[in-house]
Amino acid sequence: MMQFTTSVPLLPPIGPDGLRLLLDEDEDDAPKPSLGGSWPWRGRLLASAKTLGSFNTASCMEQLLVHFANAIESNDATLAQQILWVLNNIAPPDGDCNQRLTSAFLRALVARASRTGSCKMLTAVAARADAELALHLHRFSAIDLASFIDLTPWHRFGYAAANAAIAEAVEGLPVVHIVDLSTTHCMQMPTLINLLANRPEGPPLIRLTVSGLTTTAAPPILDMTYDELGSRLVNFASSRNVAMEFRVIPSDPGDAFDSLIEQLRVQQLVSEGEALIVNCQMLLHYIPEETVGVIASTMNIGPPMLSLRTMFLKALRSLEPTLVTVVDEDADFTACDVVRRLRSAFNYLWIAYDAVDTFLPKGSEQRRRYEAGVGWKIENVIAEEGVQRVERLERKGRWAQRMRATGFRSVGFTEEAAGEVKSMLDEHAAGWGMKREEEDLMLTWKGHNVVFATAWLPA
Amino acid sequence: MKREHQETGAGGGSGYHVATAADMAGAKGKMTAAPSMGTEDDDCGVDELLAALGYKVRSSDMADVAQKLEQLEVAMASTAAAASDDASVLPQIASDTVHYDPSDLSTWLDSMLSELNAPPPPLPPPPVAAAVYHHHHHHHRFDVSTASEPPAITTVAPLRPSDAYDFKPVPPPAAASDGRIVYGLDPQSEMIVSPRDQKRKRTCSPSSSSSRGTEAGRARGSRAEGASPAKPAAALPVVVVDTQETGIRLVHALMACAEAVQQENLKAADALVKHISVLAASQDGPMRKVAGYFAEALARRIYRRRPLSQVDRALDSPALEDLLHLHFYESCPYLKFAHFTANQAILEAFSGCRRVHVIDFGMRQGMQWPALLQALALRPGGPPSLRLTGIGPPQSGHSDALQQVGWKLAMLAKTIGVNFRYRGFVVSSLADLESRMLLERDGNGGDRDDEGEEEAVAVNSVMELHRLLARTGAVEKVLRMVLAVRPRIVTVVEEEANHNEGTFLDRFTEALHYYSSMFDSLEGSGGQAAEAGEEEQRHRAMAEAYLGRQICNVVACEGAERTERHETLGQWRGRMARAGFEPAHLGSNAFKQASMLLALYAGGDGFRVEETDGCLTLGWHTRPLIATSAWRVAAAAAAAH
Repeated sequence: MMQFTTSVPLLPPIGPDGLRLLLDEDEDDAPKPSLGGSWPWRGRLLASAKTLGSFNTASCMEQLLVHFANAIESNDATLAQQILWVLNNIAPPDGDCNQRLTSAFLRALVARASRTGSCKMLTAVAARADAELALHLHRFSAIDLASFIDLTPWHRFGYAAANAAIAEAVEGLPVVHIVDLSTTHCMQMPTLINLLANRPEGPPLIRLTVSGLTTTAAPPILDMTYDELGSRLVNFASSRNVAMEFRVIPSDPGDAFDSLIEQLRVQQLVSEGEALIVNCQMLLHYIPEETVGVIASTMNIGPPMLSLRTMFLKALRSLEPTLVTVVDEDADFTACDVVRRLRSAFNYLWIAYDAVDTFLPKGSEQRRRYEAGVGWKIENVIAEEGVQRVERLERKGRWAQRMRATGFRSVGFTEEAAGEVKSMLDEHAAGWGMKREEEDLMLTWKGHNVVFATAWLPA
Repeated sequence: MKREHQETGAGGGSGYHVATAADMAGAKGKMTAAPSMGTEDDDCGVDELLAALGYKVRSSDMADVAQKLEQLEVAMASTAAAASDDASVLPQIASDTVHYDPSDLSTWLDSMLSELNAPPPPLPPPPVAAAVYHHHHHHHRFDVSTASEPPAITTVAPLRPSDAYDFKPVPPPAAASDGRIVYGLDPQSEMIVSPRDQKRKRTCSPSSSSSRGTEAGRARGSRAEGASPAKPAAALPVVVVDTQETGIRLVHALMACAEAVQQENLKAADALVKHISVLAASQDGPMRKVAGYFAEALARRIYRRRPLSQVDRALDSPALEDLLHLHFYESCPYLKFAHFTANQAILEAFSGCRRVHVIDFGMRQGMQWPALLQALALRPGGPPSLRLTGIGPPQSGHSDALQQVGWKLAMLAKTIGVNFRYRGFVVSSLADLESRMLLERDGNGGDRDDEGEEEAVAVNSVMELHRLLARTGAVEKVLRMVLAVRPRIVTVVEEEANHNEGTFLDRFTEALHYYSSMFDSLEGSGGQAAEAGEEEQRHRAMAEAYLGRQICNVVACEGAERTERHETLGQWRGRMARAGFEPAHLGSNAFKQASMLLALYAGGDGFRVEETDGCLTLGWHTRPLIATSAWRVAAAAAAAH
C-alpha cells in the first residue's frame, strides 16, 4: 500500500547567518561519519552564477577547479569525479574564453592526477590530450614567428620599452655588447638594430650574444639553427650598415646561465670600453627560485639559502653592465601549494584567452597554436613539480626587490620611451593599455596588469 | 532428464550459454587474472585455467579430470586415515607430486591414484544417493541413482554416514569470516600472482612444514569440529591445499548443489552445501567470498529459512539497504557510472529548457543529483527551474529519509542559485504510482502557465525496474505510467545479467558468473589489497554484503519475494519498444566522459566502458556488468496519446 507524503520543502526565509547555521547543522548531523565522501557536496563552497550576480561564470569555474584540485590532492575520488563531470559539461574546449581557459586548467589537473596518481588508464587519457596539445611543439619559420609575435603586444610591449631604454643608454658609445635573454629567438633585435643604425652619431659596433637554450623547451620553437639565425641577423645589420658579431653560448636558466656568465667574464677582460647591455625578456623566471630549495643544496653551490635566481643577479651585477632591462609577466606562480598557483594562474592567464578574440579568428591554425602555447604554460604550472616546473613567474615588486638587493638601482623610462610604447599599442586592440608604475611601465589588458618593463643600473 | 541449452539475450544481444562445469572452471580462470576468453568457447577448447597452469586439458575432459581429482582427494583422505600412525607417508607423497610432468593432468592423476594404491573411492552407502554427473556437450544430467556405471560415478563429498545427512544449516558467512582472518593475514594469499608462478603446493596434514597449510588445517579442523563435535578426531579430512584445484571442485560443488536443489534432492543438496563451505574455506580472495555468499543462499533455500526470521527482517530494513548501497557506491565505479551516464543524457535532453522535472524512481540518498544540479546551475544561458520527484520505499519507524534528502538537495540548490522544488513519494512498489500524482503541481495546480512553457520531464530509474518483474504486469503498468507523463528522456540503468528467466539452475549459473566478476572487480578496484586503507576495506566489505544480499535474493527466494530479477539489455530493449519507447542514443560524448571518469580513480585497468547501439555498458574485463540506456517516447506512441 502506498503512503503518500506531499513534501514541498519550503525553505524558511534565512539570512546569510541562517544559511550558515543550517549548513553547519547539516555538517554536524552527517549521519555516517564513515561515509565522508558520500555526500561530497555537503557543506562545501559551491559555485553559483546567480550569487555572483553579473560577474561572469569565471569565478564559478575557478571555484570548481579549486575543488577539483583539492579533491585530487586529498585523493577524494568521488568528489573529483563529480566535479570533473560537471566541468566537462560546462567548459567545452571550444567554448567561450572562460570555457577554454577552464578546459585548459582541467586538462592540466587531469595530467597532474595522472602524474601523481597511480592510475595507468588516466595516463593514457592524458597522453591522448598531450597529443592534441602537441601543437605547442610547432616549429615556426622566422617569418611566421615574427608575424605571430606581432599579433599582440604581449611581447612587443617589452621589446619597445627595452629598445627605447637601450638606445638611450648607449648613446654615443661605439661598441655595444647586447646579451639577449629571451624565449623569442632574437625577434626583438631587428628593430633595435634599426634604431641604432639610424642614430645621429652613426651606428655602433654591435656584439650580440644569445643564450642557446639546451633544455628549456618553452614555446615558441623556431625551425632554424642558431647559426642560421645569427647569419640572418648579421646580414640584416649589414644591410643597415651596422657591423655586427653574433655569438651563441649554450647555457640554460636551470643552472643560472652559468656558462654564459663565465664567457661574459672572460669577454670583459679582453674588450675594454664595451658597453654591456643585458636584455632579459621573460626568460629570468625560468631560473629556479627559493622554493626549488633542493637544487641549490644538492648542487653544492653557495650557502644553501641562496637561490639560483639571486646568484644569477649577483653575477650579473659583478659584470658592471651599462644597462639591464627586465621584462616579465606580472604574476606569481611560485606558490608551493598547487591550489594557490591555480588561483594565481587562472586569474592571470584568462587575459590570454580573452584577448585572443581580438586578433585571431576562431578555429584558425594560428589561434590553436597560440592557445596551445598558453595551455603549455598552464600544464607546466599545474601538473609539474620540482625542476620540471619551470614557469615560475614573480610579480614586478618581487623582481624589483631582488634587483635592489643585488645592487641595482632603477632607472625610469623617459617620456620618449613611453611614447614609443604607446604608439606601438595603437596598432592593437582597444583593450590594451599602458600605465606607469613608479618609474616602470606596465602593459595592461582592460586595466589588468599583464607585462611589466623595468630598467636597471648598477647602484 | 535433459535440459535444453537455452539462449538468452533477445534482440541480438550476446547470448550466454548454460555453463558446464568446464565453463565454470574457465570463469574462475578469468578471476585469476587470466586474459580474456571467448564467451562462446565451445567444449572442444582447451581449458583456459588449466592451460594457464601448464596443463593441456580439453574442456570436454574436465568432468573426468574433476572426477579424478575428487577420487584423489578421497583416496588421500582414506590413506591418511589408514596411515594415521605413520604421519610421514603423506608429506612424502606431497613432495613427490611436484615431479610429475604436469602437461597431462589426467595421466598425472591416474598415477597419483595408482601410487597411492588406494582402494576405490568409497561410495556413500545406500540409501545414499550418488550424484551422477554426465558430462556431454552442453547437456547436464544429474541423476539420482543407487547404481550406475563406474565411469560416470563421482562421489560428491567424502562423507561419513553418521553425519552425512543431518540437516544443519551451514555456518553463514559470519562463521566463514573466522576462517577469512586466518587467510587474510597472509599476503601471499591474494590470487594476483600469475597462476603459472604458483607452485602446486600440497600439504596433506597439519604436521606439514608449510605454515600456511598448517593454518589452513587448523582453520578447517576447527570448522569441522564445530560441525560435528561428537567426533573431533575424525573431522573432515585435511587434504589438498591447492587453491586452483579446490577452486575447480568448489565450482563443481556449487553447481552440483544447485542441480540437487533443482531436483529437489535435499539430502544431496545438504551434503553438498556443507562440502562447499569446507572447500570455500580453503580459497582466497573473491572466490572465497562469492562461494560463501552462494553457499549461504543455497543453505537458506535448502533449509527453507523462509519466511525470513525476525533478525532477517531487521536486517532487511531499507535503512540498512541504503547504508550498504552507499558503501557500494563508494567502493566501485558501477553506481557512479550509472549516475554520470544517466545525468549526461538528462542534461543533454534538458538543453534549452527553462522548466525541467526529474522523476527519480529510486531516490535513496540522492547521490545522483548534486552533480546534475551543479551542471544545470552553470549551464550556458543560466539554470532552469528544477522540480525533483523522489520515490522511495517506506522506512521503518518515523524516519523520513526521503524528506531529509530533499532538504539537503534544496539547500544545495539554494546555495548555487537554482530554483528548486522537491517532492517525495513513499511507495512500496513503483506500480502503485499514477502519472497524475507525478505531474500534479504543489498544492495549486494553476502555475503551469506561469512561465508559459511546459516542463521537460526526465524519468530516471537506476536498478529499479527489474524489481517489478516479480509481479505480473507491474512493469507494463509502470511503463504505461511513464509514457503518460510524456518524458523527454527516460534513463534506465540495469544489471546486465539474466537472473529472471529459465530454470533455477540457469539463474544460479548466470548469477555465479555475474557475481564472480563483480566480486573480482571489487577486489581490483580498490588498488592493491595491501595498500587499501582501513576505510577502503570497510567500504569493500559492506559493498560485498550489499551484493551478498542480492545473491541471496536471486538464489534463495521465489515468487514475489524474489525481486532481483535482472534482465539483459536485449530483453529491456524489447520491453521498452513494446511499451512505446524508442532508443535515444547516448552520444560519443557520454562515452568519452564515462571513460575519462573511470580513468580517474577507477583503480585497476580491468574496467571497460563499451558502447553498443547507443547504450553504454560498464564491465569487468570482457564481462559487461551494468548497462545504461536512454529512451524517448516513440513517435507512434506520442501520436496515440
